[in-house]
Amino acid sequence: MLAVALFGFAGFAGLCLCMEKHYKELLGRAPTAGRLRTLQIGGWSLLLVALWLAVDHSGWAMGLVELVAVLMAGVTLWVFLLPYQPRLLLGLAALSLVLGPVLALLPG
Amino acid sequence: MNLKVAALPLSYRLAVTSRCLAAVLGGYVLAAMASVCVTLLAPMPKAEAVISGMMLSFLFYLVAFLWCFACRSAWHAWWGVLLPSLVLGAINGLAYWAGN
Amino acid sequence: MKEGFRQAMAWLHTWTGLIFGWLLFAIFLTGTLSYFKEEISHWTQPEVPVRALDAPASLALAQDYLQLHAPQAASWFIRLPDAREPGLSVSWREHGGGRRDFIDKTLDPATGAEIQARDTRGGEFFYRFHFQLEMPHPWGRWLATFAAFIMLVGLVTGIITHKKIFKEFFTFRPGKGQRSWLDGHNAIGVLVLPFHLMISYSSLVIFMAMVMPASIIASYGDDTRGFFNDLFGAPAEVRAAGVSAPLMPLPTLYAQVQAQSPGSRVGWIEVQTPGDQNARVRFSRHAGERIAHQRGGGWLFDGVNGTLQAQSSLEATPMLISGGMYGLHMGEFAGPWLRWLYFFFGLAGTAVIGTGLVMWLGKRQLKHAKRDAQPFELRLVEVLNIASMSGLVLGVAAFFWANRLLPVALAGRADWEIRWFFLLWALSLLHAMLRPGRRAWAEQLSLAAVLWAGLPLLNQLTTGQGLLQSIPAGDWAMAGFDLTALGSGLFLAWAAGKMWRTPVVSKRAAKPAKRACSTLIESEVG
Repeated sequence: MLAVALFGFAGFAGLCLCMEKHYKELLGRAPTAGRLRTLQIGGWSLLLVALWLAVDHSGWAMGLVELVAVLMAGVTLWVFLLPYQPRLLLGLAALSLVLGPVLALLPG
Repeated sequence: MNLKVAALPLSYRLAVTSRCLAAVLGGYVLAAMASVCVTLLAPMPKAEAVISGMMLSFLFYLVAFLWCFACRSAWHAWWGVLLPSLVLGAINGLAYWAGN
Repeated sequence: MKEGFRQAMAWLHTWTGLIFGWLLFAIFLTGTLSYFKEEISHWTQPEVPVRALDAPASLALAQDYLQLHAPQAASWFIRLPDAREPGLSVSWREHGGGRRDFIDKTLDPATGAEIQARDTRGGEFFYRFHFQLEMPHPWGRWLATFAAFIMLVGLVTGIITHKKIFKEFFTFRPGKGQRSWLDGHNAIGVLVLPFHLMISYSSLVIFMAMVMPASIIASYGDDTRGFFNDLFGAPAEVRAAGVSAPLMPLPTLYAQVQAQSPGSRVGWIEVQTPGDQNARVRFSRHAGERIAHQRGGGWLFDGVNGTLQAQSSLEATPMLISGGMYGLHMGEFAGPWLRWLYFFFGLAGTAVIGTGLVMWLGKRQLKHAKRDAQPFELRLVEVLNIASMSGLVLGVAAFFWANRLLPVALAGRADWEIRWFFLLWALSLLHAMLRPGRRAWAEQLSLAAVLWAGLPLLNQLTTGQGLLQSIPAGDWAMAGFDLTALGSGLFLAWAAGKMWRTPVVSKRAAKPAKRACSTLIESEVG
């Protein structure tokens, strides 16, 4: 469930950054169109991986419930911390990008 | 529809009251008729059809409720819920009669 | 209402939200507490000891106890202890007793001795309150169900009204007065929307047979029982044969269940006509085993020779959907992590309602900012806002304080706890009427902060099962309650602190804020 949460969190971070307004605010420079596109595709792909992980781990019924729950929690955390701790959030997103695959690949 | 309640004419308040009644009561009748309609017409075993009808009825209630406040006048609100109810009621009557 | 569809929906959102907001706030908050019903019940009955779980041993003890104290009962019920609620509870119904005439006892799961726990309704009170509202049957349920429908209306109209649902998906701008409230309201509403929709629609599904019986009548006529029998299977009415025969040891039957489906959890164990030739033993499946709720089901044994009886239960799609809605609402399948998420989403729902109420008032108070006195209706809404929000939080705290402070031997003790709950709630209404708005908020939130943060201390002093003991003992239900109370207290203190400070910022920003309000939130005024 933690791996699902991390993938989902990173996915939403990508989706947030793919909006020009937020990209500028968070990273302090104007993005290129290509970068926004990459972030968008990356974000959605991460969410798909989260879906796959959740369903693979707990089946469709339980997997979907868990997925939606951790996605809602992650994105709520993201949105309400964004004005206060943007650097921390970016760090968390990067961390979950690393830690997510590690946890997912760990046996068990 | 600002807060100047005192400034609102009586006719406006009556219209709002009428819409509320249409939404709550008329909407309920429509939802009940729709649920019976689903129940009688759905090609399922009896208990399953009843469950389906009941579960879907709330969506009808919701739509009817929104309609009563979205339409142009209170009269429209009443017509909008009562006419479909009558039609559904007629279908229900036929289905019930054919079923027995 | 002539201004077009979105405006009409905004109007509907505003006014249904106002009228039902206070009630919905109470329903959501107490419902959220109910996700920890068992833990709350554990906290409110500290006499029940926590033991290592041993289902067969507990079952044997329960059977011995019931054999001794209720050999002639019509039926026995046994609930095994689990990590969330440590007591072994047994109850029975005498022959000729009504459906609800139960005698309940709580046993020590390790010794089988009867525990004299304090009389309280514990978590059950908040659970019942959130859909029955302490009103006579069936009015409370009808009102709560209708409130749930209004919540659904509020969600749908809110989505229609919200113009920039995707563009402002990630937007929250704090420190900007009304703008921030609207951002917060929208963000919590949209980001947790799947939960909100599920909770309000499933409430309707749970009570659909009560509130929408037309199709049952159309299909089954007067035979409502027939409908439920089709759904859940006819209840196996067991007639006593009048010939006494010894009941099989329940642990043996439990072992059979485990052999049949290893690792499965058992909910209730029911024994019908114990001691008779026709005794039946039913092991119900634990509700946490799967998402979709299923009535009936489980394992039914002949109580004398131990043969497993055939079981039938419908598993068609409509039943799965309605059972799934039921299960999702209750969240009994949720493990600790998911349960905490449920709790926070419940709080989010409460917060959406609360922020909506605050905004309704704030927006209109801005228009009267220059005048000395606000109109009566604004003052009314202000008083009700305070009493329904901080007052309820105070009431809940009062319930828990009463649980620890009332003498254990007091007659009608459980009722007195509830009276304390309502008494403090009523006092908060009185207080809100007497004090100016911001002051009333600050004072009530401060008191609430003290009461909530004081609960762990009170627990420590009155029971000796406070955090100093519960954490080393690994009693996480007890410790979790205390820590959550402490956390709530700190949160309330933070909120109170905001209220105590005179709103310098908003005064300075009054003009731009007012302008911003009238332009930005235009669509919501209607």
